[in-house]
Amino acid sequence: MIKKTLATFICGALFVSNVAAQTKSNDPYESFNRSMYDFNNNVDAYFAAPIANGYKFVTPQFVQTGVFNFFNNLKGINVVLNDLLQAKLPQSASDLGRFTVNSTVGLGGFIDVAKQLGLEQNDEDFDQTLAVWGVPQGAYLVLPLVGPMTMRSAPASAFDTAANPASYASIPAYYISAPIQFMSAVNARANAEGALKFINEAAMDKYIFTRESFLQWRKNLENDGKVSASLEDDLMADEKTTFLKWRDYSKQFEITSQSFSSVAQKFDLAVQNYVQANSKIEQLKQKHF
Amino acid sequence: MQFKKLAIVTFLLSSLFTSSVFAQEEVATARQIVDNFQTELVQVMKEGKKLGYNGRYDKLEPAVSNSHDLPKIARIVVGKEWEKLSEEQQKKLTDVFSKLSIASYAHNFKEFGGESFEIDSEEETKMGGVVIHSHLTIPDDKPVKFDYMLKEKGASWRIINIIANGVSDLALKRSEYTAILQRDGFDSLITKINEKIDNYAKQ
Repeated sequence: MIKKTLATFICGALFVSNVAAQTKSNDPYESFNRSMYDFNNNVDAYFAAPIANGYKFVTPQFVQTGVFNFFNNLKGINVVLNDLLQAKLPQSASDLGRFTVNSTVGLGGFIDVAKQLGLEQNDEDFDQTLAVWGVPQGAYLVLPLVGPMTMRSAPASAFDTAANPASYASIPAYYISAPIQFMSAVNARANAEGALKFINEAAMDKYIFTRESFLQWRKNLENDGKVSASLEDDLMADEKTTFLKWRDYSKQFEITSQSFSSVAQKFDLAVQNYVQANSKIEQLKQKHF
Repeated sequence: MQFKKLAIVTFLLSSLFTSSVFAQEEVATARQIVDNFQTELVQVMKEGKKLGYNGRYDKLEPAVSNSHDLPKIARIVVGKEWEKLSEEQQKKLTDVFSKLSIASYAHNFKEFGGESFEIDSEEETKMGGVVIHSHLTIPDDKPVKFDYMLKEKGASWRIINIIANGVSDLALKRSEYTAILQRDGFDSLITKINEKIDNYAKQ
């Protein structure tokens, strides 16, 4: 009897330490992610930021707002699709109305007429749909030129891209597609300026700050902006309660990791290439800046 | 005799009344704590330019200290590492962390553009905390949700965490601080916090 209790205890202890090691972070690919983060930062500092700042400098505010509205409106179709996939029917009607009004009266989306009519924009994408369907969030990933993602949102973004007309601009001709894709990227970077400045000011470790705020932001979108009081208790709770929650998270994490493990292996291989690319940028930097 | 009795009763009644008024003043509800703090914050924003960074810091120091449980927040942000710190280190961390919290308010809420806070609802947590749901309305922009988690401290309540648009300040800081402590050590953490305070003061 004593032996059995002892064995159970040891097994339990092993399990605890195993879980503790696994759940220490939701970021098992941290070293890969950190190199990607540095790579993206370099690309941003030497290519994206100067272009976006130039755009902000020479373009009047009303044109910037128009460009933002145009690309923002194109996301509307995807929002409606995901509203339907999540069975949010009244919201899908409102979002469809929003898209229709802006595409017609709003001159192809350049003017956000729907906002003035009181049709608030909802933020839905396929990653949130997968969350509603019960797919766990999975590990954190930073992809080259794309930025923060999770094991779930990376494949989900393929759906979102497919449901965005801006992605098909390449069909008519490259001289139309290239400027549209380029403007889309410049617009995205110009709008991120405020957030990036805040990270620079507030973060003690920019990588961790970005990761944590990204994961929390995604969780918050999943919950449609509702802050759960019980999650707040977790932060303050003693180790024991937190451990029980962690055990659930860790199980979810394991399931997702397994389902996307082949993708992860490819990423692991890709690391080398990007680390090399990064060091080349470093060399360029030293030569030219 | 009759008069004397009346005098005693009046005296007793008036002393009861006074003490109950005192009690009401002391025990502010969680909602009042948040409401008062937000009012003070907006006031500082309104006078922001005139006050300058130092003026805002001086005004916000009592406002933040009286509404937030800064020593407790400092303890939570380093998680289990707190126990490993010496008493002197704990005191040092609480001190610089408090300064950083006030400095970041003084830096981020520096001017007024018609913003206003509004409390939407409150909710009790299972472990005896209170979450106050509120939002900041910004003209020509999306509103920002501010959820405050409060815990009872003595006879009153204190803010332990602020969740802005779903991002928990406490969880974010805890990930950063514990990582830096484990990777670079205590002195490095303090240096980094002090750098942040200096940067906030400069801009």
